[in-house]
Amino acid sequence: MNIDAAIVGIGCSTFGRGLADSQLRLAATAFKNALADAGLQRSDVDGLSIHLGWPLGPDYDRIAEGFGLEIRYVNQSWLHGRFVTNALQHAALAVSAGLADVIACVTAVSFTRERGFLGGPSDIEGNREEGGTHGEAPPYGLTAPAGGAAIAMQRYMHLYGATSSQLAAVPIAMRNHALRNPRAIMREPLTLAAHQSARMVVDPLRLFDCCLISDGAAVVLIARSDRARDLRQKPVRIIGMQGTRSGRDEFIFAPRSLGINQQSARRSAARPFDLEVFAQAGVARENVQGFYTYDAFSPLVMFALERFGYCGAGEAAAWIQGGRIELGGALPVNTSGGLLSEAHVAGWNSICEMVRQLRGTAGASQIANAAVLQWGTAWGDSVILTA
Amino acid sequence: MTSYKKPRPRIGPDNEPFWQGCRAHRLMLPTCRACGKPHLPPGPVCPFCFSDELVWQAASGRGRISTWTIVHKAWFPAFKDETPYNVVQVELDEGPRLTSHIVGAGDRKIQIGQRVEVVFADIDEELTLHGFHIVAP
Repeated sequence: MNIDAAIVGIGCSTFGRGLADSQLRLAATAFKNALADAGLQRSDVDGLSIHLGWPLGPDYDRIAEGFGLEIRYVNQSWLHGRFVTNALQHAALAVSAGLADVIACVTAVSFTRERGFLGGPSDIEGNREEGGTHGEAPPYGLTAPAGGAAIAMQRYMHLYGATSSQLAAVPIAMRNHALRNPRAIMREPLTLAAHQSARMVVDPLRLFDCCLISDGAAVVLIARSDRARDLRQKPVRIIGMQGTRSGRDEFIFAPRSLGINQQSARRSAARPFDLEVFAQAGVARENVQGFYTYDAFSPLVMFALERFGYCGAGEAAAWIQGGRIELGGALPVNTSGGLLSEAHVAGWNSICEMVRQLRGTAGASQIANAAVLQWGTAWGDSVILTA
Repeated sequence: MTSYKKPRPRIGPDNEPFWQGCRAHRLMLPTCRACGKPHLPPGPVCPFCFSDELVWQAASGRGRISTWTIVHKAWFPAFKDETPYNVVQVELDEGPRLTSHIVGAGDRKIQIGQRVEVVFADIDEELTLHGFHIVAP
């Protein structure tokens, strides 16, 4: 089956901290905005593909009931960066297969209200047997996702001589992008000195290496090309996808085979296995004009760049210096500011930004003549979008 | 059970012998009879050869630090009085890695590659936690 899917509408709520609205209310706002953007009616939406849901938000049926939808296709995982691409890919596969005509990917978060969940005593996921998926070890006080990114980065620094000052290039790039983006929460410049003097959270991650805890919603609408061409916006086509890589040599917050948890410690450069998305899209990596990733913690950006072969194993810390990942650089990353500086809307803020870029409506953040953009994560899943 | 407020390990059929071993001050590893490899975290089958034939064998209790962190933020109220505190991954001489902590490090800097040896702390009548001492730079 070939993929025949395009993003035909995007909508967001306000992004902020301590927003009074419920998650469902934020989602409704984003949903209305996405329908208006696409020129679609609520009754046109017949599928939901979400990574919202219990325990951090309403399930698909609450959304369908609350918004008065009639749904004939559902995919739901849970609120995790791991499942951003999963939700998008399932929507693309389902419309391609005719299981639905228009699928809404709905994400709404109220992290400021739920912050006790994030690594604290009410974190059901992090406290499960053998800890959560980020290498949590609750009896030893490694209870938050940041811990997994920290222990991976600590080993990376040891192996390759990378430093916290080099790592700072990631949050500084994200902040510079946020300064151009009126939707972004963080609108003050971030200097290297401010990064280095900020409090340590979990060594070597300092405050600005950790994403925002914020509130907001984003909705992305997916349809086949026959439907997309009649709608209001220029369709943004999904031309390549690859799924999450998993196995004994994988840990979601480290490059493969860094030697975290039970990974082997034999590093290798990106293999064909890691690069299937480019072949499927018929696009050479050199033609990708912007890279978008789940920047929950600064190291994840470096790890994703290595995963997709933009640089070699252990080279990312040096590679990201000098503005290379900023607008105007060779490979701008997360041009709306990402989770580190725009808002933590579970990555969908960056998916919406990719769509704006490919439509040519990204304003002060626009990549000139943007035609091919990649979303890819440290854990190996990816989509390539084109206009 | 005591007034111990920190998270306790969630013990189930696959990892119960590991934590029983800690009660007896022995570090036990599920080891495959078919291919001979030990693994962690404890699973129902050998992750290398998929054999069901696992036996629990005592590890040497020695290894080296493969990575570490210092946690400065008190995500859990019960850890608040100890922040900042360390968490390490130890690569056991038998191969598997174990997340634990260094006890009695004092002012000594924790570094990747340091040799360590297991120690046990009896928390209450049901729980003993493993930890490690640094034994060589």
